[in-house]
Amino acid sequence: MALLDVQHLTQFFGGLRAVSDFNIQLEHGEIVGLIGPNGAGKTTVFNVMTGVYTPTKGTIVFDGQNIVGRKTYQITQAGIARTFQTIRLFSKSSVIDNIKIAYHFRMSYGNIDAFLHTRKYWEGEQLVDDYAIDLLRLFHLEGHAEDVSGSLPYGAQRRLEIARALATKPKLLILDEPAAGMNPAEADELMEMIHWLREKFDLTILLIEHQMRVVMGVCERIKVMDFGETICEGVPEYIRNDPRVCEAYLGKGA
Amino acid sequence: MTFLRTHRTMATVIASVLAYVVIKLLSILPLVNGEPLLNAYYIQLIILVGINIVMTVSLGMVNGFTGQFSIGHAGFMAVGAYTSAMITTVWLHTSTANPWVGYPVFIVAILAGGLLAAAAGYLVGAPSLRLKGDYLAIVTLSANELIRTVIRVTDALGGPRGLGGIPKFTTLEVVFVFAIVSVVLMRNYLFSSHGRSMKAIRDSEIAAESTGINTTRQKVFVFVFSAFFAGVSGGVFAHLLQFIHPDNFSFVKSLEYLIYLYVGGSTSISGAIVGPAIFTLLPELLRGLESWRMVIYPLILILTMIFRTEGIMGLKEFSFILIPQRQRKEVSV
Repeated sequence: MALLDVQHLTQFFGGLRAVSDFNIQLEHGEIVGLIGPNGAGKTTVFNVMTGVYTPTKGTIVFDGQNIVGRKTYQITQAGIARTFQTIRLFSKSSVIDNIKIAYHFRMSYGNIDAFLHTRKYWEGEQLVDDYAIDLLRLFHLEGHAEDVSGSLPYGAQRRLEIARALATKPKLLILDEPAAGMNPAEADELMEMIHWLREKFDLTILLIEHQMRVVMGVCERIKVMDFGETICEGVPEYIRNDPRVCEAYLGKGA
Repeated sequence: MTFLRTHRTMATVIASVLAYVVIKLLSILPLVNGEPLLNAYYIQLIILVGINIVMTVSLGMVNGFTGQFSIGHAGFMAVGAYTSAMITTVWLHTSTANPWVGYPVFIVAILAGGLLAAAAGYLVGAPSLRLKGDYLAIVTLSANELIRTVIRVTDALGGPRGLGGIPKFTTLEVVFVFAIVSVVLMRNYLFSSHGRSMKAIRDSEIAAESTGINTTRQKVFVFVFSAFFAGVSGGVFAHLLQFIHPDNFSFVKSLEYLIYLYVGGSTSISGAIVGPAIFTLLPELLRGLESWRMVIYPLILILTMIFRTEGIMGLKEFSFILIPQRQRKEVSV
């Protein structure tokens, strides 16, 4: 059974049809890309899948459960983590606290332990500190653990955002334009990292990306959207040569 | 000394006890012309500083650390003040004559006041904290005025005459214990996983939600315990002044706490201690200037906000507020 099964997803904003009849099935361990020109509805699909919007029509089954109508935090707890198109770190908190925050819903102590700093509190804090520092090491951020996250360089902030998403221990990771603002060398590193993430954390990955080099280099399967409709789907070589895709990006007669 | 460095809470308690002893001695020893330096009036001011610190720190939990904008904190103080005063004065006729009966009743009464204030906080917070944006400011402002007006028209609560004859249970000792316990509890909460979630909500509510935090529940909980501490402060306040009036708890009073908080530093517990301490005492220190103090006081406020936009303390904390960092083992991967 597919890890994620989206059927006939349709999203209206008033009279505007942002997404119409969108279908996607993700198998465990796949890396799939979602591309299309600006305004094609890609980010809307992400927002519906993560519970920011409730879809007008359609079903989303994740890991055997229907997640339509659930709140964002419940979907995250069920195992879908995301990053944002524009980085949204907890910029005034330290780097390590960004990771610890993502671990919050797994913490074993409650409000009373927090007020009284009971034994349970200290054990929980020790556990999360060890976990967070280990995760930061994997992303080469342990040297910045106590720095304010807003002060990190851009590339490191991107890495931290991905590390934070992973701290929720997801099954499915969705990346919204992870290579935005990156130069070719950084984009190459990112591509390596995406492959490494899948192996290391046993993930399924869905990404939106505008840099074709990244999409073609990393995805096993690509879906192309335009004006809310899926216009094409297949392996990278097939997409590259499809006239409909060229038309969507470049216009007719190009 | 190492003990004090590793046991910060103990260090805080010891420092506070020392401060208490100094103040107590200054109020007893005949230093100035056979009179003590601190007379009863100054002692009352110092007690007010303690109450204002708890009010400001609890307001800071909502406004500074969770990034919500509540501007009706005095309303919850009123709920606590009237509830506790009704219990001790009107229903049980407690007096300070027998402290073995009086103080237990007083403690139960102020806790009951805190709980009722927390319930009022839930009623106000639960619907408005679901929404993002400035709704909370409007709702808390209205709630503050609503509470004041209801008290004003309720004859059983003394109405516009106020409620008098309240026994004076609030002493220097009481306020010391009350302020230390309250600040330590709130400090502890802030330095926990829940406290980190509060700051996450402040920095980016969308990101907090998408890292699995139930932001609505967290915001409502913070608002409720903040109202609880405001309610208990109200009870302590009522048993200091021995007379309370609905106009003691108007929107102007709420504004005072906002000023203490933002001048002290809204994202620092130390700031929420320094702010009310300075600005409760400042009008007294400026007394010699007579009517000029109404010029100097706002001038000091304006200058602080120009030169220290983030408040006197900014993001800094006194070291006794912080929780000691755990030494991490150095492991190379």
